[in-house]
Amino acid sequence: MCSFAVWRESMRNLIKIALYTLLDQMRLKSFYVLLGVSILFVLHIRTCYGGRYIVQGQQVDRVTVAWHASKIAFHVICCGMFLLTALLAMRVFTRDRNDGSLVLFLSRPVDRWQYVFGRVGGIWILSSLFMFVLHCTIFLIAMSKTGGVIPGYLLASTVCFINLLFTTLLVCLLSLYMPDFIAALATVGIVAVGFISDGMHLLMQNKMIQDAFSGKIHPDPAWWRIIYPKVSLVQRYAVSLIDKSEFHGMGPVHPVLNVIFFSVIIAGILYVVFNRREI
Amino acid sequence: MISLNSVTKRFGTVTAVDNVCYTVGRGEYFALLGPNGAGKTTIVRMLLGFSSPTEGSISIDGMSTVNTEVRRNIGYLAEHHRIPPYLSGREYLMRHAALAGLNGVAAKKEVARVLEIVGMTGRDRKKSATYSKGMAQRIGLGAAILGKPRLLILDEPVSGLDPLGIRDVRNVLDDLRRDGVTVVLNSHLLSEVEKTCDTAAIMHKGRIIVKDAITSIVKENETLEDVFIRCVEREHA
Repeated sequence: MCSFAVWRESMRNLIKIALYTLLDQMRLKSFYVLLGVSILFVLHIRTCYGGRYIVQGQQVDRVTVAWHASKIAFHVICCGMFLLTALLAMRVFTRDRNDGSLVLFLSRPVDRWQYVFGRVGGIWILSSLFMFVLHCTIFLIAMSKTGGVIPGYLLASTVCFINLLFTTLLVCLLSLYMPDFIAALATVGIVAVGFISDGMHLLMQNKMIQDAFSGKIHPDPAWWRIIYPKVSLVQRYAVSLIDKSEFHGMGPVHPVLNVIFFSVIIAGILYVVFNRREI
Repeated sequence: MISLNSVTKRFGTVTAVDNVCYTVGRGEYFALLGPNGAGKTTIVRMLLGFSSPTEGSISIDGMSTVNTEVRRNIGYLAEHHRIPPYLSGREYLMRHAALAGLNGVAAKKEVARVLEIVGMTGRDRKKSATYSKGMAQRIGLGAAILGKPRLLILDEPVSGLDPLGIRDVRNVLDDLRRDGVTVVLNSHLLSEVEKTCDTAAIMHKGRIIVKDAITSIVKENETLEDVFIRCVEREHA
């Protein structure tokens, strides 16, 4: 077969497996439990828009309330999606091994990389769609309450897709070495360390904090904080697209490139590890 | 069709397959026999590319088993065959058909054909979680013969089947013989092997201790089971 035909056949297999992954996940009860929890959260957020808020004796107008509530909801949904994606991805390989799906795929002319990245792609697409739908709902609620749109809100949501890819890949890789739930927890832990580290760094940039600890704060972050996966800064960058604020990263590499770099590295390791495995 | 050249497979310090050499010709019905832990399933997994030999090489139709294209012409029924519980038998076979490169009407026709052959027409739309072991095994056999493969690898195909099911499998294999399909059969049901296969290899502790035509192995007034027990006990001694 010529190389284009091989490539087309490979892509076809990869898309089929990603599609099966979407369908299989949507048949699981756990998916609907997570969906139900998310809907409850969105319904709960909806009540925030109708509240009356008084700041320094003055009532805050509806647009400002909607603006702030939507930004907070954006962060909460993004953070919640790390956990949800980890839960969706953690059992993919174990389930396939136990229920015969692995043999179904690999006894046919399907390369291992097509199987691995088909599965990863399916989970990524599902969790990204999930997050986008939740963000869209918040976007529409804000629009119905204020009559205006929040520019950049949906674009910011798509920027955060890369974080979910990183999470999916990391959970899948770790699940090859440790129990599924531990793999999900470890991934959430790695993401949480990034949030704490980057949050602390941003806090230290605050003028008041610098004045309070004059001379005791090192202006440059430690090297590991610069190269650590910048999922939290990707989220912060996404928010800067919403409020059109200036974005300050950490180190010379943009956080989106940083997370893409880590995703590629993890994908490479995942492929090598899975390829060497006995089925 | 199949060629194993000095194949050895080690798992750490354990040698599961030890310097095995054999060839299986086109259209041959070959039985791989041996007690539990003899290395039969390890060989089957290497034939499918699920596992690679530590030493030696395996080729099917001149192609290395590392090449996934080899599997385009292979049908496989696993020893502990499982169907994802959320799929019906039909959905399971449709996935096999899609991955084998069949789509649309061609896939539906092929699935209907194999359902008819394995006697599951009319029971194929139920979720596999409700299937008995025998029904699941029939669907597994259907998946193996789907797409008319040139090589069929069957690991304990009659496991869980009642006598009627066993007879049906034998009939399916007889029909495939007319089509020139090569079959590698891994089974403990030696009476069936004797009825179905042309050649057999008896393995013990990873090595092949006997390999020949069944008519040559089994002498007058004895069965394949007698030969098998004698060979394995001799090795134990």
